[in-house]
Amino acid sequence: MRTRALLAAAFLLLTISITAQEGHPLTGTWAGDWGPPGGSRTHITMVMNWDGKAVSGLINPGPDAIPLTGVSVDWGTWTVRIEAKGISAEGRLEDIGSYHRRIVGTWSQGGTKGDLRLTRE
Amino acid sequence: MKQLLLGTLILAGTVVHAQLSVPALYDEWRRVTFDGVVTRVEWVNPRAYLFVDVRDPGGAVVNWAIEIGNPLDLEQRGWSRRTVRTGDGVSVEAVPARDTPKRARLLALWTTRPRAQVFAGNAATARPTPAAAGPTPRWPDGQIRLGPPGGRKGYWGAASVSTMKESGSPVSVRADGLLTNVSDADRVAPLQPWAKAVYLHRQRTLLKDDPSARCLPPGGPRQFQTAHGFQFVEQRDQGRILVLFGGGNRNWRIIYTDGRPLGQAAEAVPSYFGSSVGRWEKDTLVVESVGYNERFWMTNGGLPHTEALRLVERFSRLDLNTLRYDVTVDDPRTYTRAWRSAWTVQWVPDRDIEEFFCEENAESTFIR
Repeated sequence: MRTRALLAAAFLLLTISITAQEGHPLTGTWAGDWGPPGGSRTHITMVMNWDGKAVSGLINPGPDAIPLTGVSVDWGTWTVRIEAKGISAEGRLEDIGSYHRRIVGTWSQGGTKGDLRLTRE
Repeated sequence: MKQLLLGTLILAGTVVHAQLSVPALYDEWRRVTFDGVVTRVEWVNPRAYLFVDVRDPGGAVVNWAIEIGNPLDLEQRGWSRRTVRTGDGVSVEAVPARDTPKRARLLALWTTRPRAQVFAGNAATARPTPAAAGPTPRWPDGQIRLGPPGGRKGYWGAASVSTMKESGSPVSVRADGLLTNVSDADRVAPLQPWAKAVYLHRQRTLLKDDPSARCLPPGGPRQFQTAHGFQFVEQRDQGRILVLFGGGNRNWRIIYTDGRPLGQAAEAVPSYFGSSVGRWEKDTLVVESVGYNERFWMTNGGLPHTEALRLVERFSRLDLNTLRYDVTVDDPRTYTRAWRSAWTVQWVPDRDIEEFFCEENAESTFIR
């Protein structure tokens, strides 16, 4: 039974890998974490949506969600800047053609700065 | 069992990475030539292969996988699966793959006994001989028929262009969708900055992430530029027109002509072909569609879109053999304004669409 589940998971992985989202590169749900060097890591879920004029979204959707107040992208360098109350992040979009594209950079919150890793789910 | 699982994962990885667009897969600026012996003929869609044993300068024998094109196109050019057989001696001129050793795309092939050229040029889609001219066929009530004339067969084949750009733009785009000069990106369509960045990324990576190369359906206008055509089945009593595609994976689409409203994009389940309603305006079928997903490129060059995409397509049958397709692309999340593109499609008389499944070999069978 366990083996069948593993095989099913392998095929699911294949299916997910070959069906990308080909629209705005930021649209979708992103998951990852941030933390200072050598320190504990904090999980992040971020939802972003492009409406044709701006990217809006939430950090950690749910009762404690934090709305994004500003998202911008330098399309020449694929650098993403994200602002929310008390939070500032900047990272580079990587593996742009993949469904599981990434944002890798830095995250600042409450006077603490650390590295950021987000992957589009 | 661990080996089986490992094999499954390797297969998964192989399929994902092996299914690339032709420009990304092969280095068109290089050539290889060699003599060898055919060990296998793989006659399957979307790409048929010859496998050839070649003795290298050190005396070792290596097996090359030579892509020879699509079987349907090859058959139209007079090939059959027995034109070259296992055991035949051959001389090969080919374009090598960029990253996969011992893989190439055929340019020319000679049999060595007797010496005869049996293949020349690339395996681009063969274009059937144009049909005899004739008037636009009509139903008894005078409405234009988009399908065959009564009692006849046929389908719509090759489009006049294989890629898409704004009508009237002088930009030069290759048949495979690559711009002759990437600095012309702004002239292809009125792209928003993010869309231009994505389009340029796709161009600069030689279209390697094209979903169609991985056998996903050719959604949007691209459905009318596939290599193996399409046909309309007009079910007038049911108020709908079916569009059956010979390209992709024998996909199909419904255009409702029963007067129902179009609906809203936000209400539709996003799909490759969207939700479509059509109406006749004199001799032109006007089709409006919304509800597209974001999982396809609507042209082989990599023009992006979002779920806000709305298409207005106009189909006009100019005569028996010519269909004019005119599409207005309206996606305010991707483009700075609505824009148009148009091309014609040629009728293939007295024939049925042949069976073509893009997924058939998934290119995993030759990985060694």
